[in-house]
Amino acid sequence: MLILQVVSLEPAHGYGIAHRLEQISRSVVQVQQGSLYPALHRLEQKGLLAAEWKPSETGREAKFYSLTRAGREQLAAEKDSWAKLTGAVQLIFDEGAKS
Amino acid sequence: MKKLWNWFRRRELESNLDRELQYHLDRRVSDLVASGVAEGDAKRMASREIGGVTQVQEEVRDIWLTRWLRDFAYDMRFSLRAFRKSPSFTATVVLSLALGIGASTAIYSLVDQVLLRPLPVSEPQRLVLLNWKGEQVYGGFGSYNLMSYPFCREIGRQTAVFAGVLCRAATTVQPSTGGMQRPAAIELVSGTYFPVLGVRPALGRLLNDGDDDGRSPVVVLSYDYWQTQLGGAGDVIGRKILVNRNPMTVVGVAEAVFRGIDVGELPVLWMPATMAAKALPVDPVRDRATLWMQVFARLQPHVSAAEAQAQVQPWFRGMLEEDTRLAAFPKITEERRRRFLASTLEVIPSPQGHSKLHRTLAEPLWILFAATGVLMALACLNVAGLFLSRGSARGRETSTRFALGASRGRIGRQLFADSFLLALAGGTVGVLLAPVAVKTLIAFLPSAVAANGLDAKADPRLLLFAFGASLLTGVLTGFAPAFQEGRAALMSSLRSRVEGASGLRLRRLLVTLQIAFTLVLVTGAALFSRSLNELLARGPGFQTSGLIAFHVDPVTNGYEADAANRLMARIRDGLNASANVQTVGIAAWQLLSGGTWNNPLTILARERIATDRSIHLNAVSPGFFATLGARIVAGRDFEPRESLAESERRVAIVNEAFVHRYLRGQNPLGVRIGIGFGTNVKPDTEIVGVVSNISYRGMREEWEQAYFPLVSDGFRRGAHFYVRFRGSSAQGMDTIRSVLNDADPTLSPGYVRTLDEQVNRSLSTERMLAALSGSFGTLALLLSLVGLYGVMSYVVTQRTREIGIRVALGATRSAALWLVLRDALAMVAVGIVVALPCVWVLGRLLEAQLYGVKPTDPATIAAAAGILSVGAAIAAMVPARRASAVDPIETLRFE
Repeated sequence: MLILQVVSLEPAHGYGIAHRLEQISRSVVQVQQGSLYPALHRLEQKGLLAAEWKPSETGREAKFYSLTRAGREQLAAEKDSWAKLTGAVQLIFDEGAKS
Repeated sequence: MKKLWNWFRRRELESNLDRELQYHLDRRVSDLVASGVAEGDAKRMASREIGGVTQVQEEVRDIWLTRWLRDFAYDMRFSLRAFRKSPSFTATVVLSLALGIGASTAIYSLVDQVLLRPLPVSEPQRLVLLNWKGEQVYGGFGSYNLMSYPFCREIGRQTAVFAGVLCRAATTVQPSTGGMQRPAAIELVSGTYFPVLGVRPALGRLLNDGDDDGRSPVVVLSYDYWQTQLGGAGDVIGRKILVNRNPMTVVGVAEAVFRGIDVGELPVLWMPATMAAKALPVDPVRDRATLWMQVFARLQPHVSAAEAQAQVQPWFRGMLEEDTRLAAFPKITEERRRRFLASTLEVIPSPQGHSKLHRTLAEPLWILFAATGVLMALACLNVAGLFLSRGSARGRETSTRFALGASRGRIGRQLFADSFLLALAGGTVGVLLAPVAVKTLIAFLPSAVAANGLDAKADPRLLLFAFGASLLTGVLTGFAPAFQEGRAALMSSLRSRVEGASGLRLRRLLVTLQIAFTLVLVTGAALFSRSLNELLARGPGFQTSGLIAFHVDPVTNGYEADAANRLMARIRDGLNASANVQTVGIAAWQLLSGGTWNNPLTILARERIATDRSIHLNAVSPGFFATLGARIVAGRDFEPRESLAESERRVAIVNEAFVHRYLRGQNPLGVRIGIGFGTNVKPDTEIVGVVSNISYRGMREEWEQAYFPLVSDGFRRGAHFYVRFRGSSAQGMDTIRSVLNDADPTLSPGYVRTLDEQVNRSLSTERMLAALSGSFGTLALLLSLVGLYGVMSYVVTQRTREIGIRVALGATRSAALWLVLRDALAMVAVGIVVALPCVWVLGRLLEAQLYGVKPTDPATIAAAAGILSVGAAIAAMVPARRASAVDPIETLRFE
């Protein structure tokens, strides 16, 4: 889900995604770089990500991943369920605080 | 699906992944360098962070292809490489399997076409054949399950159980569209035939109820005839076609897939049964007492054959009652009438239609199919044996792989892939061989007509069968070595060069089994070839060489009665005048054709009796027996005046078998007989002679026969000429052709062939059984001897050291030789002992197909065992000689 979210902002290549994840989460989420690529390929196989080769910011060709329509739907669904879960957790905490 | 696609573009995927990862590493390194890390450290760090490039690659590959698929692909590649390295092993295995699969596919193709395949009509499983079970009092013509035309019309009203009823009869006519004419099969059918079967026209219309009015000289052509004889002409509808020189109008062409309901017969056209007079010498349509058609019905939906049978019985019994009250009903004894009334109507599911071939070929074909099954099992055993030896040769490789951490399942899978690939290859070669084999097989089938109806094309079901058979073989052969490998103890096999005894034991078991199977096949082959030899040695009871027969049918060639008689006389006189013709005999019915004219007789000797079974009858000219070379053992031959129509005296000649069964201990001469068994039969025909037994219906049969004079103006059915000639048969044929040509250039004889050929045709089933079981036996022998040779070679290799020591200690060469031979012969002996009870049991199933030899004939079985033992001794001799040539010094030094 995190990968989908990162890619949803703009198409990105593997290194960029790893970098961005670390930055955004302020290094809280440490993505094992070794498992990033298998994850990317799995998402691509599932049809949630599309990939194309184009020049990166350094001018070299890199594989850029972008969200497909299915990927976007998947992301929306996961965000939704995440929101529900966190909401529920929040409620439980609030309840605990009141008593 | 997507994953399979990935398999094909894996190279592209790989290079893309490499680029992607390289990009990642390069960027990381340059970032790290930018933040002040030394370049070498940066590279190490980047690679550590990612957790090893190779691991990532592997993980990603697993995503592209599922694990097992990848492994399977690797196994296949590995197997292929291994096979390329050992071509002789591969060739032996593929060939063994190809033979096994080819043979069984070929036989299955015949079994399927002749016995199993349903008719290409709509819902064939609802078709049933109606059979009169019980006492018959009516006469008729045709083969099996015969009914009359009126019966067919009447049972058609039983609509509660039958959605429709049809009847058909097969006959041979001379169809002509102007060009060359040749006798061809046709079907005479009721108007319901096509509608009930659900056949569609390719052109025009098919026959229907309206054509049953008896005033419709119309025909429907078969698709093949339309294509081959009429060039598929689009304007064929409305054209006239001559059937026995009677003009008939073509109204349609049947769809291509439909070829009548008798597999093995290809009707060129269908015409209404009500027009039977145009095709037959008689008109049986209105006659209840002439049985000549097979009656089929289509069951109503959800009605079973058994239910239908139960429901039509009251009607059938009523019909029988009514029949006995008819004026035309034959006068019969009370006992016989009771049995007639007790008859029932059988309703037999017949999705395959009706065919003489079903009856005559079912048992031989199933026997041969069983033989190919055994052959196939043998091939599997052989292949399993070969795999085992390869397994032991590869023992070290396998152990090494175990040691490197391969799982048992993984290695088993590898072996499985091996056998799977080989089975597939063998199956493919076998399937390619099969059509050739089927073509050869069809040549053995009984009649030339049968050959037309069967094809050598491999249909999808056949391919499926072959594929299934080869896969099954793969599983079976893969199982044995996989089991073996799985058990092999890791450490011991790595340490020692000698394989454990268990492998050898298994292989000995395989060879022993092979020997046992082979003995079964070889014994079968020996029994069949002895039967054939017995039949050939006994002969038909007359001199076949120097004898040619031919058939002339004036009526189908458009002759009227008087002209027909003049024609026949011209032919007879022409033959008698020819220099190389010795004698000519004429018979109304053909010898050794599989059919006869038959009827029970009434005999008036000391008392009046009716024969308990039908006597085979024929009408022959004076001199017929002399021409054949049959002896008149008592009395005399017919005299020429007795074959005149106006002859007052009615005479007959019977054969020895007839005398033996009905007139034993009496003087047969002067006894009176009559055709039929009713009380109204007048036995007014005097027996004037007794002839030696000759084969009439077929070579196997010794049956009671009676002959009447061929009345010289009774040629309406045509006649079979038997010509004894001097010189070569080619000259004899030429003489006959020129005589026929002189008599009438447009005349086409039904056949012209030597009696030797007729004998061969009549023995086609026996010949097929003998030839095929013989070749299966030979193949089996080869396969099992190859297996034996393989094991013995292995044994010798294993025991080289032992033998070397023995020789060094003073054992002679022959002792070494014997050491190995004894081993081999022990296996053969055990195999034979195991097989004997099987031979004894299976032999009983063959009994009906044998002649002059018992299935448990000790001499035959001993001969088969002897052949097997000698073959085995020869196969074992090669490795045994190698053993005897062992140089003790060489062996011991090698240690």
